[in-house]
Amino acid sequence: MQKTSVCIVGGGIVGAFLFDELSLLGEKPILVEKGEDFSLGATKANSGILHAGYDCQPNTLKAKYNVLGLKMYKSVAKRLGERLINCGSLVVGDENSLPQLQDLKNRGDKNGVKNMSILDRNSLLALEPNLADNIRWGLFAKDACIISPYHFCVSLIEEGIANGGKIKLNFEPQKIVKIPTEIIAKLPKNTDFWQISQAINDYEQKAKNSSEKFQEDYCYIVLSDDDFVICNSIINCSGAGINEISKLLDEKTFPLQLVKGEYILLDNSEGSLVHRPIFPLPSKHGKGILACPTVHGNIFFGPTAVPVDKYDTSVSSSSLAIIKNNALKLIKNINFRKTIKLYAGIRVKTGNDFEIYFSQKNLGFVTLAGICSPGLTSAPALALDVIKYLQKIGVVKNKKIDSQKIIKRKPYTRIFELNHTQLDQLIKQNGDYGEIVCNCEKITKGEILEVLKNSPIKPLTTDGVKRRLRTTMGHCQGSFCYGKLAKIMAEYYGVDESEIIFRGNTSLIVNDIKNGGIYEQNKK
Amino acid sequence: MKKQKFDIVVIGGGSAGLASAIEADKMGLKVAILERDCRLGGILNQCIHNGFGLNYFKQELTGPEYAQKFVDMLPATKISVFLGTTVLDILQKKDKDIFYEIHTISREGEISFEAKSIIFATGCRERPSGSISLCGTRPAGVISAGSAQRLINIYGKMIGKKVVIVGSGDIGLIMARRLRYEGAEVLGVYEIMPYPSGLKRNIVQCLEDYNIPLYLSKTVCEVVGQDRVEGVWIAPVNKDFSLDESKKEFVPCDTVVLSIGLVPENDIACSLGVKLNPMTNGPLVDEYLQTNLPGVFSCGNGLHVHDIVDNVSKESQRAGKNSARYILGQLETNNPHKITAKDGVRYVNPTTFYEGEGVININFRSNNIYKDKKIVVKCNGKVVREIEKKVILPAEMETVVVAKNNLTDDIEVGIE
Repeated sequence: MQKTSVCIVGGGIVGAFLFDELSLLGEKPILVEKGEDFSLGATKANSGILHAGYDCQPNTLKAKYNVLGLKMYKSVAKRLGERLINCGSLVVGDENSLPQLQDLKNRGDKNGVKNMSILDRNSLLALEPNLADNIRWGLFAKDACIISPYHFCVSLIEEGIANGGKIKLNFEPQKIVKIPTEIIAKLPKNTDFWQISQAINDYEQKAKNSSEKFQEDYCYIVLSDDDFVICNSIINCSGAGINEISKLLDEKTFPLQLVKGEYILLDNSEGSLVHRPIFPLPSKHGKGILACPTVHGNIFFGPTAVPVDKYDTSVSSSSLAIIKNNALKLIKNINFRKTIKLYAGIRVKTGNDFEIYFSQKNLGFVTLAGICSPGLTSAPALALDVIKYLQKIGVVKNKKIDSQKIIKRKPYTRIFELNHTQLDQLIKQNGDYGEIVCNCEKITKGEILEVLKNSPIKPLTTDGVKRRLRTTMGHCQGSFCYGKLAKIMAEYYGVDESEIIFRGNTSLIVNDIKNGGIYEQNKK
Repeated sequence: MKKQKFDIVVIGGGSAGLASAIEADKMGLKVAILERDCRLGGILNQCIHNGFGLNYFKQELTGPEYAQKFVDMLPATKISVFLGTTVLDILQKKDKDIFYEIHTISREGEISFEAKSIIFATGCRERPSGSISLCGTRPAGVISAGSAQRLINIYGKMIGKKVVIVGSGDIGLIMARRLRYEGAEVLGVYEIMPYPSGLKRNIVQCLEDYNIPLYLSKTVCEVVGQDRVEGVWIAPVNKDFSLDESKKEFVPCDTVVLSIGLVPENDIACSLGVKLNPMTNGPLVDEYLQTNLPGVFSCGNGLHVHDIVDNVSKESQRAGKNSARYILGQLETNNPHKITAKDGVRYVNPTTFYEGEGVININFRSNNIYKDKKIVVKCNGKVVREIEKKVILPAEMETVVVAKNNLTDDIEVGIE
């Protein structure tokens, strides 16, 4: 029976920061996620930019948390051993763009953004030689950064686990029960799913049939179809799924708009094309289609902003043309033949700002709605404010994180970060570190086994390994290494390769050919 | 870190690497082969179908058999073979002469190789789905042809039951038959071009013999399916290669095999400073197959994608021999002239020759199908070589040998 002060529902970047910060406070939170891994929603496929904060309308939650969040990221990245590149960002426009850029800068000033400057074409070209010919003016925001959002998310959760937090994957809440603490207190420590279901049933019957009033003191049980968590508060940060969770407690729902953002990703051979995020002038549809490097040296263009009515991450050919068209308005000399992947992510909007809902009816139930851009940047500050609230209502102990007591997450070995002597020594200790599996990204068998063995969140899918190491993410996109990776995983887990999942619950390998092959057919 | 010194280091132990190393060894030089896999032979090891060696060995072999013929020659040589050895980076150094320092890792640790000459025999890799802007979803079941071939032939694992093949390159055709053998239903091969991009013999032996339909000027425009492929939308291709989505049709399937082309593998070569030919994605080379860097040679599919391995072996032998001649100071590189592609020719290899004696081997591919035409080599508008051809196909590499005597200016290769 797992009891906690805080149950976080949804393992994206917001849930990850909440989980980590609560763990560092010694709260032992429980993070539940319906997927087979973390960072599978909006956190997986977004632009990976930590925005400076000039774009948000002043006096909004977005403006507040963006500016605060950005300031918090650097030290977290350092602690986690995650890459964060402080490359700055540019908004660029043609000869008529100066007034709009000035407006943006003024907005930034109001939001408390520092280190912004308006640059002319010559200064812009010194930063970005491949800017399109009609670009005349730009707003440079020195403080913007880029990170790898899915790596960051997984690392945060790993640190949270190292500091006492617990996780539950494949946990999709089906029911939430508000139940008097005294009933829970009477349950034996080893109460299982069946027994808790019984206890809930008994309580519900009793509550229906009698007018007996229980004390005000109650807690929540969050149940999936085979597991449960008992908690004093629930943070609902499940992105596109928040309303499903809220409905379980008959709580306030939000009108959600799913917006699909499609991207084109280029090979890292094109890495010198741009050196920082380059935005067009923002429109009422958002920040527009940008050109941007990733921390791993690839270049992407996107995202589009296509409203969708379901969680659809397909890329359409019409969007592709739009992305290319818009990218060429910013940057010249783009070699689209070096595209290695098209992908899309979903951002969930509700109105124009973030919504933070602290329930009065169900004290301790919090919904974070519409955490779209700049959600990644805002996540740490947003998490901190939610925790302050939990401290105010007495769910979380009122203390500060003691940085001396943080148990640091041990980053995975990356051979390219070692010098010749270190690498040679490592291989002499363990030959697996000398056996390259992913040729494009130069990832060894040793690094893969290390993740499988040491990760507190065991990746069960090849995609999961990818989200920790970047295997299959290079320019061959797994054509050379997929089989080798599946074999290493199958050997480690003691299963057949066909049981190694590629994504979701499907393998790339199928072994049950029904008609037995051409030779068998001929025999008959 | 261990250090090793060789005259010539060959990077890659496939068909190109083996042939070039053996030839360089014949010239009495100290040669090493660095191979990242745990066995020699490269991609030939997964090509278990026959049809190899008809030209070179005058007999029909499977891929592994073809490779083994070369591997069997090694004991009679002094070549050192380093398996499971991956090159991380290469530095150009200068002492009295230029030499190269090649950093590698293997299960034994780091080894640094020093060599006067390098032969890049790195083969090619498959184009990813992004390179054809494959739209739709990204479920399990979209797989490149070579990857499918490795899973089936090396790992003994099947990849699907109802398969659509995109692209009529040779690997796609071979895999159509292979998947059929293994019990999959192969619904068809879809080719964006109006003509097949694989060899005629593969069209006949892999598709026609098994009643697998080939659809020309049609390609996949969208993949459907969340976890596993559920089908693809196929659309006809207009003359300008845009898709006519008004006529698209849905084909239910669980697997999409992509045979959409190969790219010469030159990451390490590029970081060393080797210049590439944008038409082939392989290095720009002279008639000796030497790149812009002294003593650095390129051959096989790392230079340009071949259709027949026999040609790889022959080309690579020249690279091996020339690498040795470079070290022995026998390469004449006076008065360079350009070789350029003219009408009907997509690219030529090499792109530079030098005045002197002997012949130049020029390989090229046409940009379309030509019937009853002539391959014409001209110097200063004057025809210096002319070959009549019944048919010229983009799928089949052409070779023309030109005598160098009297060539004192740039030459052009065209189809007339």
